[in-house]
Amino acid sequence: MFPQFGATAETLSKASTMVFRIGTDAHLYDDPDDVNIAPLLDSKFDSEKCEALKRLLALIAQGCDVSNFFPQVVKNVASQSLEVKKLAYLYLLHYAEKRPNEALLSINCFQKDLGDTNPLVRAWALRTMAGIRLHVIAPIVLVAVGKCARDPSVFVRKCAANALPKLHDLRQEENTETIEEIVGILLNDHSPAVVGAAAAAFASVCPNNLFMIGRNYQRLCEILPDVEEWGQIILTGVLLRYVIARHGLVEGSIMCSLHCKENSQSQKDGLESNPKFTFLEDNGDLGLYYESEIAHMVSQCYIEGPDEYLSRSSLLNKGSYESKSECFHSGESNEDVKILLQCTSPLLWSNNSAVVLAAAGVHWIMAPMKDVKRIVKPLLFVLRSSTASKYVVLNNIQVFAKAMPSLFAPHYEDLYICSSDSYHIKTLKLEILASIATDSSIMSILKEFQDYVRDPDRRFAADTVAAIGICVQRLPKMASTCLEWLLAFTRQECFTTVNGSMDGEAGVLIQAIMSIKSIIRQDPLSHEKVIIQLVRSLDSIKVPAARAMIIWMVGEYGSLGDQIPRMLTTVLKYLARCFMSEALETKLQILNTTVKVLLCAKGEDLLEFQRVLSYVLELAKYDLNYDVRDRASFLKKLLSFHLDSQGVERERNYVPKNKDLSCVLIECIFGQKTKPTPPEPYNHRIYLPGSLSQIVLHAAPGYEPLPKPCSLTCELSASGELATNSNSSVTDDLDTLSGSSDNESASCYSSQHSIRGSSGNGSGDVTGSASEDEGNADPLIQISEVANTYKTQNSGSQSGAADFGELLSNRALESWLDEQPGLSSVNTSEPSIVHRSSARISIGDIRGQVKPKNYALLDPVNGNGLKVDYSFSSEISNISPLLVCIEVSFKNCSSEPMSDITLVDEESSKDLDSADQVTASSITSQDDVPTVVPIEDIICLEPGQTMTRILQVRFHHHLLPLKLALYCNGKRHPVKLRPDIGYFVRALPMDPETFVNKESHLPGMFEYKRSCTFKEHIRELNKDEGESLLVKDKFLEICRCLALKMLSNANLFLVSVDMPIAASLDDASGLCLRFSGEILSTSNPCLITITIEGKCSEPLNVSVKVNCEETVFALNLLNRVINFLAEPSLTQL
Amino acid sequence: MLQCIFLLSDSGEVMLEKQFTGHRVDRSICAWFWEHAVSHGDSSKLQPVIASPTHYLFQIFREGITFLACTQVEMPPLMAIEFLCRVADVLSDYLGELNEDLIKDNFIIVYELLDEMIDNGFPLTTEPTILREMIAPPNIVSKVLSVVTGTSSNVSDTLPVATGSCVPWRTTDLKYSSNEVYVELVEEMDATINRDGVLVKCEIYGEVQINSHITGLPDLTLSFSNPSILDDVRFHPCVRFRPWESHQTLSFVPPDGHFKLMSYRVRKLKNIPLYVKPQITSDAGTCRISLLVGIRNDPGRTIDSITLQFQLPPCILSADLSSNHGTVNILANKTCFWSIGRIPKDKTPSMSGTLVLESGLERLHVFPTFQVGFRIANIALSGLQIDKLDLKTTPARFHKGFRAVTRAGEFEVRS
Repeated sequence: MFPQFGATAETLSKASTMVFRIGTDAHLYDDPDDVNIAPLLDSKFDSEKCEALKRLLALIAQGCDVSNFFPQVVKNVASQSLEVKKLAYLYLLHYAEKRPNEALLSINCFQKDLGDTNPLVRAWALRTMAGIRLHVIAPIVLVAVGKCARDPSVFVRKCAANALPKLHDLRQEENTETIEEIVGILLNDHSPAVVGAAAAAFASVCPNNLFMIGRNYQRLCEILPDVEEWGQIILTGVLLRYVIARHGLVEGSIMCSLHCKENSQSQKDGLESNPKFTFLEDNGDLGLYYESEIAHMVSQCYIEGPDEYLSRSSLLNKGSYESKSECFHSGESNEDVKILLQCTSPLLWSNNSAVVLAAAGVHWIMAPMKDVKRIVKPLLFVLRSSTASKYVVLNNIQVFAKAMPSLFAPHYEDLYICSSDSYHIKTLKLEILASIATDSSIMSILKEFQDYVRDPDRRFAADTVAAIGICVQRLPKMASTCLEWLLAFTRQECFTTVNGSMDGEAGVLIQAIMSIKSIIRQDPLSHEKVIIQLVRSLDSIKVPAARAMIIWMVGEYGSLGDQIPRMLTTVLKYLARCFMSEALETKLQILNTTVKVLLCAKGEDLLEFQRVLSYVLELAKYDLNYDVRDRASFLKKLLSFHLDSQGVERERNYVPKNKDLSCVLIECIFGQKTKPTPPEPYNHRIYLPGSLSQIVLHAAPGYEPLPKPCSLTCELSASGELATNSNSSVTDDLDTLSGSSDNESASCYSSQHSIRGSSGNGSGDVTGSASEDEGNADPLIQISEVANTYKTQNSGSQSGAADFGELLSNRALESWLDEQPGLSSVNTSEPSIVHRSSARISIGDIRGQVKPKNYALLDPVNGNGLKVDYSFSSEISNISPLLVCIEVSFKNCSSEPMSDITLVDEESSKDLDSADQVTASSITSQDDVPTVVPIEDIICLEPGQTMTRILQVRFHHHLLPLKLALYCNGKRHPVKLRPDIGYFVRALPMDPETFVNKESHLPGMFEYKRSCTFKEHIRELNKDEGESLLVKDKFLEICRCLALKMLSNANLFLVSVDMPIAASLDDASGLCLRFSGEILSTSNPCLITITIEGKCSEPLNVSVKVNCEETVFALNLLNRVINFLAEPSLTQL
Repeated sequence: MLQCIFLLSDSGEVMLEKQFTGHRVDRSICAWFWEHAVSHGDSSKLQPVIASPTHYLFQIFREGITFLACTQVEMPPLMAIEFLCRVADVLSDYLGELNEDLIKDNFIIVYELLDEMIDNGFPLTTEPTILREMIAPPNIVSKVLSVVTGTSSNVSDTLPVATGSCVPWRTTDLKYSSNEVYVELVEEMDATINRDGVLVKCEIYGEVQINSHITGLPDLTLSFSNPSILDDVRFHPCVRFRPWESHQTLSFVPPDGHFKLMSYRVRKLKNIPLYVKPQITSDAGTCRISLLVGIRNDPGRTIDSITLQFQLPPCILSADLSSNHGTVNILANKTCFWSIGRIPKDKTPSMSGTLVLESGLERLHVFPTFQVGFRIANIALSGLQIDKLDLKTTPARFHKGFRAVTRAGEFEVRS
């Protein structure tokens, strides 16, 4: 064998390193636990602590669990030595999630460090604290991040940006808004380093909040070249998404123009005369069509994601969609697009291949056709950087080249294969070469391919042969040259395979025959000679699969031309003779072929063929393999008619009469010739360039296709129109007012009340100038009915304020509680209207006491004295049942009158132009974004005056805050409205029987249960005890409390209240309240059952059960219910 | 974003793990990866992006060490790969070279570096100059100190100024008594000669490497006399784009020390300095091979370190090769290595020998490709010439030096 191998094997290294190991941490890694670590950790010397920590890290590195040292390590976070700190941090981050309680001990140290003068200490503290990932400390971290986002040190700000995704990852809904706010601040930073990190935070925290990008778009583009390379990668992607969403695809880019061409023939003619498209034409029409097909598909895949696209395209006619997509184009001259292309083009020179690819992706999608060429050289140059990135870049080039071969066609030499390339890279290059070959380059490429088939890697050689076949499919002119070469090749190849037992060779041969087959199929008639040659070589080709293919060709093209039929008899005889020694697949193919030949046969050959066939069938009947036996008997049965020679004669004479079923059947099975098929549709999955999904060819979690073109613009114009002449006032500072907020709110309620109450009466008893506004009611808010309902509702909600000061207007209440008009007293100290029917009670007037929770939209501090609150109202919108009504009250707390107050969707307020897009706005109303029906403007608000408006919003079940813009005195205040899932339902009146019935239909997976404790009733009970004028029914009080709580937080209908009859006086167990509602969007009923356990005077254990078909919704609703039941109500403090 | 990085030794042992996010990646993924790698022969032959049942893996292979990163969500794969390459670069810069022992011996530094380089799976500080200021590389002094005193901290206690400056690659407070800048053109020639002896492809991949030691914040401009021959370029972040766009000059504030200013490519060259003529004839189960190497277009400088390397096809059982100049080695993986050195004046180096084919094979049907290596000092074969190097800011006087070297890149001769 190889005596040299052993002798020359390299055995050096490892021995010589002893000297170099002195002074390193080698001994720590080798024997991390050869000393007792615990005492070292408690040592007072930093060096010993260091050593202990290093030993722990070594253990971590080696995969041991050393979390039991956690408490001791945590102490060291307070160390003054930065090295100890750093090592402790490393340890802490590794285990913090495992030991949350101990990790909390370190928080104080971090907070101290955050105030350190050394920015490095601040940065480390922030990074580690955020990395600990505990829900409990999230608020603290959030505050810290907010502070650090304004830190003077760039590095600390950068770390703050990096901390945001960590916080976001904890999925705490209440924080999202603040996190997004900080992202906004950091995106605005003047340091490119911070912007880069902020872009990354944006991409992981709120990638769809593109408005945030819109605000800074220009500046972000300009700063892009200065951002760090990693930030550039992310920021490029973000900007691309924004531009697509805002302006859509660009006229004249690849994404657009190719399917335009497909669409209208007239346009195509126009393009052909256009010089910039002529370079596409050299492939001929078929190729062009084929390629444009792919390009169209590419662009659709980018926007929709391939799964959706592929599934849709199989169902729908493609054309219908295209016409729709036409409206998504924007002009080539768009400023935003221009600036993006301008700022990304220097990135093509980046040293970082990821940046190059990201920039190339932008140009590929957005650049006009003539400019796309500029991505070619940089992409090819990146191939030189490292083998790993080479693979990824080639994967992307492959898609580009398939969609637009002309792009890479002149650079075919760069894709020639080196022997050092790995197999994956070789196959990719082959595929690209095959798809970009042109008439001018094919000769050199073929020459190159001929070298490749002699490569020692036979798998690669087989792929090369297959690639030749693909080349010919694209360039039919090359067919004869390639066939000739392939034939010569098979001869030489089969020569070797006679002796060789190597699988690789067989694979190459099979692939070669396959390529020949596919070429012949395109035009069998002109390649008659090739078929003959192949058949002649049958004797020397031993590989079963290859033989089978040739035999198939005999059957398929047996009747073609005039030479093949003449040799058929001989061939069949030969096949019959060697039938016994064939492999399985060849045997089956021989059977098929003989039958096919027989069916097409004429004249005296017929008898010969019959003889051969019966011989073969006979042989097959006794074959060892059951598959062959089955096939034989099957054919024999079918062909009994043909085998019988007299039968054939008869058939000749009386053709139609005697043709029985089996004849028709056999004709169907064997008689039909396969037609030359057009090039196979390209249905690879295509994902965005540079994405992970494109490499692994499935949508990785978190993959998002490009946003729908122009989705942003339409949204902007929708309400932008309405915001055109709005003004707003300036935000001011400071909480000077907050001290008096109690007073404030109280007075606010009262004044609100007075307005509402009076208007509810309809008597025109109006304070202030509120009615004038109402009189002005613009056509968007409809009319009297709305006004009525919301007023009554308001008064209903207002009645809850009775707790504060009995400020009720009875008549307003009555109008709501029309079943019980006489019951005016809603005094809390009195058990109200109880119908005791067996154990079921009803708290009829509970609606009247319901007071939806008030949230602040804008506090007077920030709003220059304008105070805006909102509360969800339980009333149903008359515009669309999908809209949630929100009552917004405006109060002027300043001493000057305010004017032109309006509230609009924030997105819309930015885009004030584009009157032509109004029509588009109607489309988006079905879209997936919250839609806001704007309120009528408040022309003027006197000091101290309060006005209310109803805002109708469609939340689409989004639970993220909705951004609105409030204009006052010409100033704009961004405000946020938090949706409340409790109002995504509306009250659905039903009787208890229906409820139980419905509930029984929603078992199992439609049922969710959680429990919590409810305490609120205790205060209520105690309060009453103090007064103790009347002996109160404790149960009733609890029910009232619970029901009130439920109804003031969600729009539900109280169906029934069940009480335990035989209960002791203090035991509330068994109390059961039922609520019903239906989901606004789907009208699915949503049933809530609350059961209580525990003693009246103690905190109760409340278990809440939700039955609903929409499980996700139900879960969310359940969580919400638990939340508000458990939280103490502020209004009652 | 990346969730975790593992460093694997060449036997598949996990040397280090560093988790970045709360979504911990279990070590068992490494076992899966190693099995996968073994089933594909070698981790250097694996795809760089692998979808395992639980994670997406990115891997690069450097000097026997596999850098493995995991994620579960969509992210730009090149970003992960480039980052891993950067980690490998920084580590080999810190440790002098890369091998299993060095990593283990300096695992604390590796940990500290990784911690600074990436935060929550997103690269944080990857600029080598800043890293060097934050974490001191191991050197003799620190090693001796740690032996003598038992203490030495390699963690700096101040934040490098550069983190906040607009030139993050340079520390501002540098002082040198003699200011010097050395520019070197390092070129690699990629060429393919096909079986007919035709030069199919020949191009130069070159780098402009600079070693600068200048006081303060220098602003340099470098221009070429024939920039038009450059086919494509890539720049270090310090290069300003505008001057290049308008008149092809490089204007930049250099990092301190040695760095790669730009890389470039010159395509479609016609001349190669060497010729290699392989001849292989096979008959009756044996095969004769002979190789001739000589100078084709004399570049005017001595060509040295000429090597020739090829992989024997798998169907060859044994080989007996000898040469009239230099030494021939056959390594265990059937790689033949012929080191020639310089071409002597009096004779043409040649190698010849016989190969024995696998039994049953009459003739050789697959042929090896010869990879040629050489080095030519003091010449840039692309013909690129540096015109001048100016310093805009003080100190106006400084030393400058230029040199060039050309090596063989992917220089292949097929047979």
